[in-house]
Amino acid sequence: MSFPKKPGGKALDVLQNLPRITLTNLRPEPGARKNEKRRGRGQHGGNRSGRGHKGERQRGTRPRLGFEGGQTPFYLRIPKYGFNEGHSRRPQYQPLTLKRLQYLIDLGRVDPTQPIDLTQLINARGLTIQPLKRDYGVQLVDEGSDIFVAKINIEVQRATEGAIAAIERNGGVITNSFYDPISLGILIKPVPFFMRGQPIPKRMLPGEDMVPYYMSAENRGYLADPEEIQQARRALAQKYGYVLPDISKDELCHMLAMRKDVRQIFFGLSPGWVINMPEKKILKPTDQKLLQYYSS
Amino acid sequence: DLVATFRFCSRGFASSFSSDTALPPNLRLPSNLVDPDRLKRPPPSEDSSLPLIRKCDAALPAHLSPVRTWVDTLESKDSEPLGLTELHPDVFAVTPRLDILHAVETWQRNYKRISHASTKVRSEVRGGGRKPWNQKGSGRARHGSIRSPLWRGGGVSHGPRGPKSYYYMLPMKVRVQGLKVALSSKMAQQYLHVVDSLNIPTPDSQYLLELIRSRHWGESVLLVDVSEEFPENILQATENLKTVNLIPAIGLNVHSMLKHEAVILTLDTVRFLEEKLLWHDERYTFLYPLKLPYSDFP
Repeated sequence: MSFPKKPGGKALDVLQNLPRITLTNLRPEPGARKNEKRRGRGQHGGNRSGRGHKGERQRGTRPRLGFEGGQTPFYLRIPKYGFNEGHSRRPQYQPLTLKRLQYLIDLGRVDPTQPIDLTQLINARGLTIQPLKRDYGVQLVDEGSDIFVAKINIEVQRATEGAIAAIERNGGVITNSFYDPISLGILIKPVPFFMRGQPIPKRMLPGEDMVPYYMSAENRGYLADPEEIQQARRALAQKYGYVLPDISKDELCHMLAMRKDVRQIFFGLSPGWVINMPEKKILKPTDQKLLQYYSS
Repeated sequence: DLVATFRFCSRGFASSFSSDTALPPNLRLPSNLVDPDRLKRPPPSEDSSLPLIRKCDAALPAHLSPVRTWVDTLESKDSEPLGLTELHPDVFAVTPRLDILHAVETWQRNYKRISHASTKVRSEVRGGGRKPWNQKGSGRARHGSIRSPLWRGGGVSHGPRGPKSYYYMLPMKVRVQGLKVALSSKMAQQYLHVVDSLNIPTPDSQYLLELIRSRHWGESVLLVDVSEEFPENILQATENLKTVNLIPAIGLNVHSMLKHEAVILTLDTVRFLEEKLLWHDERYTFLYPLKLPYSDFP
């Protein structure tokens, strides 16, 4: 509407002619409060109280759920198979579409001129991660890859090939890195961790089954060889049919080339440091053994 | 207000409905029902000569225009309004959601409630372990203990059990909206007044009462200021008055606003309220409790 509408609408005008709103005038919306069902009272709730007529139904002695009168029930006839075996130990990755990422960048909630980390995505309230529900991070999904136009340095835990292609087509950098559950919890909510006063732990390396994923260049793993990654970039460009833009000639090349160390959780902070939030100080270890442990 | 309502109702509905709903001719209303002088003070028009003392700090959406009100003084009894103020429409002119007001008011009453009503069950009543008489043979009804709920002096079967708490929290945004709705409805029904500050010439309660009566503010008045330290004069004046009360702006709540007929805000209070209440409209959800420090929140 181009012309300014009267704020509050007609309801405030109607209010002017009505009696004063007092503590005695308030009542909930009609239909908001429904009386609860009470059994055994009067004509409608009473008599048999909704239990039916005689038998196990009225007397409450029906057999357990799934019982079929003695015939082998359905849930025992079917043989077991491990469909859901170990489901609570399987790593889950919260999906993040390129469409949502573009939406966040367009609204200014995520800054594309800085490396995009899981912390940045959570600060922008782009997605929610629950490390206690076996979430191991975020996965990039290629829905919206045709709309995606942003040059970013992004770090996720899993990415589909189409998503990698879409990001590199626009001149960005994508890395897959691993966070064990404790480091993930710290990464998501850094402030409550710093309030605890514990030193920043070092990020653990992935388990046996995940090492090949993070060492392969096709997945842009953080443990892979940089030269192999370059080859994989060229191969992907050829496969998807786009010209691979040269990053080294870019003005933001320094920012795009920023990557975390294998044992590092936050960009500016090393493992072993203690952060003092109220006094805004950083304490670093000086003991030789501690330094050796944290830099291993 | 009641007279106006009756006039409004009879004007609006007499034509459509039968004459049962029209006012009966032998109805006698008392003359002190409504203060007739209170009804005269229309909101300031566009071309009034008084200066605009305060403009809204926050950015207004394009489709809304600010609410204008008079700014008075408490210095002298018969003074003219000092000037005009602009109030933010998203705080002082929101849709009057009476159901939110009801919800917030019941929450305020009940969340502090702990009912200590407690009765004894048949096992807690003193005595009643032995079977009073034999099962068979005595001719009386069969009983197992003298403290069963059927007996006089026996336990209560389904009575209140011990201290029970009625604590629950409404979402923060609902409570904020309740404050906004209360302020808007007070503003719409012309019970909200803005004053430049709470400085009075004398610490006399009579002066305050005569001022309130001369300006037709109502029977009960709630005075709100930003800081928790008030000028000496107004503290003394309101000390022995039951119907005129002082609260700091952080203590503003829906129950007090509805209980008192008129609400008086200072200009600083208006600024404080707008800042605090508008922040909730454009904030992110909280990731961790508010007590821990946030870098981008106030």
